[in-house]
Amino acid sequence: MSDERDVSPTKIGLGVLWSAFWTGLPIKLAFVLVFFAMDLMHFENRLGLGFLMLLASPVTVFAVPIITMGLESHIGEGAGIALLFLLSIPIDIWALGLVGRTYFLEKFRKEPPEGLGVTLWWKSAVVGAVFLPLVWFIVGTVTSTAISMAHSLMELELLKGVPVAERIAVELSLWGSVSTVVLIVLLLIGVSLVGRIIRSTAATARPISDSYQNIVKRWDLMRVPADQGLVLTSITLGGVVLAVLFWAALPVTTPHPHECCKKPDAKAEPIFKPVETLNKDEKMIAQLAMQIDALEKQKAEAEKDKGKGKKAGSEAVAPAPKKKP
Amino acid sequence: MEHSSLPSSQPTVIEKVIAFVDERVGLKQMQAKMLNEPVPGGSRWAYVFGSVLLFIFIMQAVTGILLMFYYVPTADHAYASTQYIIHDVDYGWFLLSYHFWGSTAMVVCVFAHMSQVFLWGAYKPPREMIWLVGLALFGIVMGFGFTGYLLPWDQRAYWATTVGVEIMDKTPLVGDFMARFLKGGPTPGQMTLSRFFVIHVMILPAALMGLAGLHLFLFRAAGPAGPFRGTPEEIKAKTDFFFPRQVWKDIVGMAVVFASIVAMAFWEPVVLLEEATPDPGDYHPEPEWYFLFLFQLLRLKIFAGEFGQFLGAIALPGAFMALLAALPFIDRDPERNIFKRPVALIGWIVVMVAILLFTVSAIINREFLD
Repeated sequence: MSDERDVSPTKIGLGVLWSAFWTGLPIKLAFVLVFFAMDLMHFENRLGLGFLMLLASPVTVFAVPIITMGLESHIGEGAGIALLFLLSIPIDIWALGLVGRTYFLEKFRKEPPEGLGVTLWWKSAVVGAVFLPLVWFIVGTVTSTAISMAHSLMELELLKGVPVAERIAVELSLWGSVSTVVLIVLLLIGVSLVGRIIRSTAATARPISDSYQNIVKRWDLMRVPADQGLVLTSITLGGVVLAVLFWAALPVTTPHPHECCKKPDAKAEPIFKPVETLNKDEKMIAQLAMQIDALEKQKAEAEKDKGKGKKAGSEAVAPAPKKKP
Repeated sequence: MEHSSLPSSQPTVIEKVIAFVDERVGLKQMQAKMLNEPVPGGSRWAYVFGSVLLFIFIMQAVTGILLMFYYVPTADHAYASTQYIIHDVDYGWFLLSYHFWGSTAMVVCVFAHMSQVFLWGAYKPPREMIWLVGLALFGIVMGFGFTGYLLPWDQRAYWATTVGVEIMDKTPLVGDFMARFLKGGPTPGQMTLSRFFVIHVMILPAALMGLAGLHLFLFRAAGPAGPFRGTPEEIKAKTDFFFPRQVWKDIVGMAVVFASIVAMAFWEPVVLLEEATPDPGDYHPEPEWYFLFLFQLLRLKIFAGEFGQFLGAIALPGAFMALLAALPFIDRDPERNIFKRPVALIGWIVVMVAILLFTVSAIINREFLD
């Protein structure tokens, strides 16, 4: 039997958080796809990081809003991001509860306490809220300092002749190794903090004196639902609803048109109603015919007046005698 | 008299059909063999990559067939038909983007699968042949990526192929023949497209199906390697059948990969560049992202010149692949625990860091070129 005090807190934290992340991931991903299809989520920069933080929500649920507002780092836009965080809360509580109970039985050989999922969730979320913005700030500062230092190092007269490819590789190795080491060390400290929380919870738990085979059987059966038919039906129905939502919201044509294939702005044609159109046309024709009649009358009268005027003019002015050639 | 009170003992039509097939092909025995395989140490998430790869391949085949309904493999129409798929075919953009990101997922999963086998020491006797066939499958997956990249016939496709074929040309003895065979002329054109298309949709899928079948057969013959840690008591206590736990894990793994590919199709859908021309213009040729590290490696001064290019493009990768192929025969130590194999662990970390470093370097290098 192993005592929880013998296991390192980093190992405990990693064991629980890593498994909880993967346990909740498939369910969260289904919602992510629906929100993408419904155009509710956009990631502007640091795509991968933002996405990972979203999916690692047991520790980032409070940390991301703090980073976004306090450190002015924008990971994306859309109601989908906030909605996904909200939906992630029950998923994470369930995942942490399941993984935590298994871990207590298998590794500590202790009876998991009631409400383990909720306890682990809120404690991890609080640790994340304090620790992750700190990590974000420190790693960001270290990285930018390391980049400028590596750059100025390569600007030295001695190293100015280094070709571009080698220069990039050296610079990247210099600042990349510094920021990676800082990031890994800080993340391990954070994981170890969560591990200490789990260990302190385990310290008050009751030990089990059962054979290893029976313990394995117990935590294995914990993953099998009591009413398998009900769970299978619920999962299937949930899957069908999400699939229908996805296909209904999926854009039929590409949301990213290419320069070559821009479609002309087509105006919607008015609805054609034959009887109304005929009546309208008849009225218009009648109106136009009346206008033509009026114009013709006007023209005839004008010609008549012109004819009269010409006659009067010719009588008043005698024609000039023609010259002989 | 007792029999008359049991009306439900009569088999249904489905049961009759199953019994009919079972009598002829041994369906139940086959099912029992496939599902009741013992997994030493129980099911694990680390074992899902093989099934996930099979799933990705099936999805690639399905989306590829659907794309073929619209794609025209001629130099005159390849670009236009791809644009037609993206802009006019209902959900065509999604289908093409899924196919594109599916190929990336396949490469990632092959890397993950090979890494898992390497770190678990699962290539060691009696599993040498599984490893060798797996390496051949890795080559086929890379071939899929290389040949499929040309098909949209835009500038990116054209120049990536030109660079790739030029690298191939540097292979001693067979390089010139292979380059001429693939290009079918002095510059990539109709013959190149036809040949790449045939290789992509006929030769490689057939080869992959055959070798994947052989890989599975060899795996079932040798049995799973199991975990590299744990006492015999622990491993025995956790040993389980393939069904239902490992099957469930495989299904979840497939769902996660499927969702990730769909998410990528939304994030970065396929957008073509200008139509392929023999003049690169402002475009700086570069291969697909998983060949970027090699491309960046070739930019180093040490690999300049005819011999340097041969060294970087052919000799080094060739030697690395040869080392991987010889690995089960060189490493005769039965120890499988990666933490007790420091050379293997350090070697794996060095290779991964080098690939990451040169891939990111290639991305940064774009800024210098632009």
